[in-house]
Amino acid sequence: MSATTTKPPHPSELSTALARDRLGVAAVVFFVMSAAAPLTVVAGVVPTGLAVTGLTGISIAFVAVAVVLAVFAVGYVTMARHIANAGAFYAYIAQGLGRPIGVGASWVALVAYNMFQIAAYGGFGAIASPLFADWFGIDLPWWILALVVWALTAVLGVLDVSVNGKVLGTLLVAEIVLVAVFSFADLGSPSFAPSAAPLDPGSLVGAGSGALLVMAVTGFVGFEQSVVFSEESRDPRRTVARATYIAIALIAVLYGFAAWAMISAAGGDVLGRAAAEGPELFFNVAADRLGSTALHLGHALFLTSLFAAMISFHNIIARYTFSLGREGVLPRAFGRTVPGTGAPKNGSLLQSALGLIVIVVYAVAGWDPLVQLFFWGGTGGGIGVLLLITLTSIAVLGYFAKHPEGEDAWHRIGAPVLGTVLLLAMSYLAISNIATLFGVEPGSRPTWMVPLAFAVVTVAGVLWALVLRSSRPQVYAGIGLGARSSGIGGSFSAAIAGDVGTGDTRPDQENYR
Amino acid sequence: MPSAPQLPLADDLFLTAHDSVKGKSLLTPTILGLGLAAALLGELVLWRRVDLADGKIIIIDDQATGDPAVTAVLDQLLREGHHREVRDWIAYLATGIASDLVERRLSRTGLVRRLEKRGLLGTKVLFVPADLMIAGWPATRVRTDLGRGDMLDIPDLMLAGLILATGLDQHVFATLDSRGRDHLFDQLRRRLPAMLQDLIGSAEAAVGEAVMARRA
Repeated sequence: MSATTTKPPHPSELSTALARDRLGVAAVVFFVMSAAAPLTVVAGVVPTGLAVTGLTGISIAFVAVAVVLAVFAVGYVTMARHIANAGAFYAYIAQGLGRPIGVGASWVALVAYNMFQIAAYGGFGAIASPLFADWFGIDLPWWILALVVWALTAVLGVLDVSVNGKVLGTLLVAEIVLVAVFSFADLGSPSFAPSAAPLDPGSLVGAGSGALLVMAVTGFVGFEQSVVFSEESRDPRRTVARATYIAIALIAVLYGFAAWAMISAAGGDVLGRAAAEGPELFFNVAADRLGSTALHLGHALFLTSLFAAMISFHNIIARYTFSLGREGVLPRAFGRTVPGTGAPKNGSLLQSALGLIVIVVYAVAGWDPLVQLFFWGGTGGGIGVLLLITLTSIAVLGYFAKHPEGEDAWHRIGAPVLGTVLLLAMSYLAISNIATLFGVEPGSRPTWMVPLAFAVVTVAGVLWALVLRSSRPQVYAGIGLGARSSGIGGSFSAAIAGDVGTGDTRPDQENYR
Repeated sequence: MPSAPQLPLADDLFLTAHDSVKGKSLLTPTILGLGLAAALLGELVLWRRVDLADGKIIIIDDQATGDPAVTAVLDQLLREGHHREVRDWIAYLATGIASDLVERRLSRTGLVRRLEKRGLLGTKVLFVPADLMIAGWPATRVRTDLGRGDMLDIPDLMLAGLILATGLDQHVFATLDSRGRDHLFDQLRRRLPAMLQDLIGSAEAAVGEAVMARRA
């Protein structure tokens, strides 16, 4: 877009002012990584996954998913330069596969993102409860702690208080350093014996491979946000693409290495230890090398970073909901903000309401917060994101079939075809391995509930899009454009759209002068 | 009640965006800036200096207008011939330029005054309506007209559109009944020229983008 504008002879004040905030590769990588929450994945998802699935080939799964996502990213980043609202999967799907599927996808994403967020509430409660008993000697049930962080997130969300970028950045760097230090400490542990199991490529085709792949995908969620900066980067053709590949590679190396070191240092019975120790496994295997201070520091950082990630992700969901409200894909009320703060209040309230309901239901039913909320919720959301990525990959092909201008065959067809084939295989494995992933009997309720929920939401979205097409064509036309949409979400656009089409009601241009 | 004098569009928007009790801005600086940027471009359209078509600004007359704020924007438009996107100009003027021009124009007429607020980290300069009655003028005028079922003139229709686009309607039109609301929407649809509708639409989209990017 901006690459085609010719340089003005004199430095333009307008260009200078608008270019002031352009981002480089490092800034984009940093932004993407901050959504990744390394400790939550390495200490939370991986040990719980070992215990629930009984599978150890997680490191090779991180690498395999990284390769597939990198291939997918070729077409994804290329298409991002051509469309508005890049960063939202449904924007690609609406343009490449049609608006009805796009609306379905937008709702699936809302469900998947909420699953991550609510999973984090449960995870915080489950992880903090034993730590609080250890530190302060107070024995609190998980759901009280979950409700405390839920309430804090809800209040900060409505006020639209964000975690300061520097605080978030410091936490992220601290997390990465901590994961690296603990993992290197594992190498010196007396029980350390290099294990081949986490790296066994055979686990990618063996039983339960889909479960491993979904766990790995969960670790990468957030990488799709890199393209948000397509318009604001220094070099639209390079910056975002490079940042995306770098972020994917960093995540794969960090998580893959940390998981391998932890499993190798856990001794003979890693699955038994993971079941007994849960997220503590990550800290325990490195403890005898690092001492108790490092352990306490690690625990404190685990909780603070999980909380910071919760606030950030809550804000992302509130904004995503706002964007859908602006488009008219969700009720208009979600497209409003508080005038004095610009906070997307209603989206925030919706997320909080859903979170409260789930926490209360789990507390009353006595379900396990770590496995059944944190792990099932997180990986269930991971399945949703995997399905969205797969649809997006097909959509990239569809889009470039209609608009081949300006891109070469590898970016338009080669990489997207390869990526789509790999992603379809991964999605098939994921859906067919849900029983292993959740650690339940094949055919039991959770195995069909999750795919059914996504299917129902998709169908509902498609139907809603068809209703819009016949009743409000202007809203329908704007699907996928996000907050820039000329739908009905904004009060003014709503007033102009009215109940009838415009066009013929527009006045003659000259008669007011 | 005697009808209050009508100020230039952007001045009216500035006053409407300020609390008539405490004089504080009801909008975030970013959103107010976007509204004022669109209002100044709207004034250029009303002065018949520019047209807007396909999201681009076309200069149809380069003569100065006698209004310092509008002339400043026109001069800059003439200097920056490479940039014609309405969207870019709204974003650019909203970086503080529009607010600055409007505040200066209003202080010259004595309708707002400069207020220096000393805080912990230095002094903040604010512009507040000189008289709390004044801040209420434009909104009251628009509401009264709509309540009576009168027609708004084009600048006031544009003002009403920007009130909706910036979210100010949650304050200004809260007391409007559904008949007044329908009356307003109907006029916006039928009587507001297409290029001004598009301009307000661009401002509203820019507000949405600012919220998404946490710049609001």
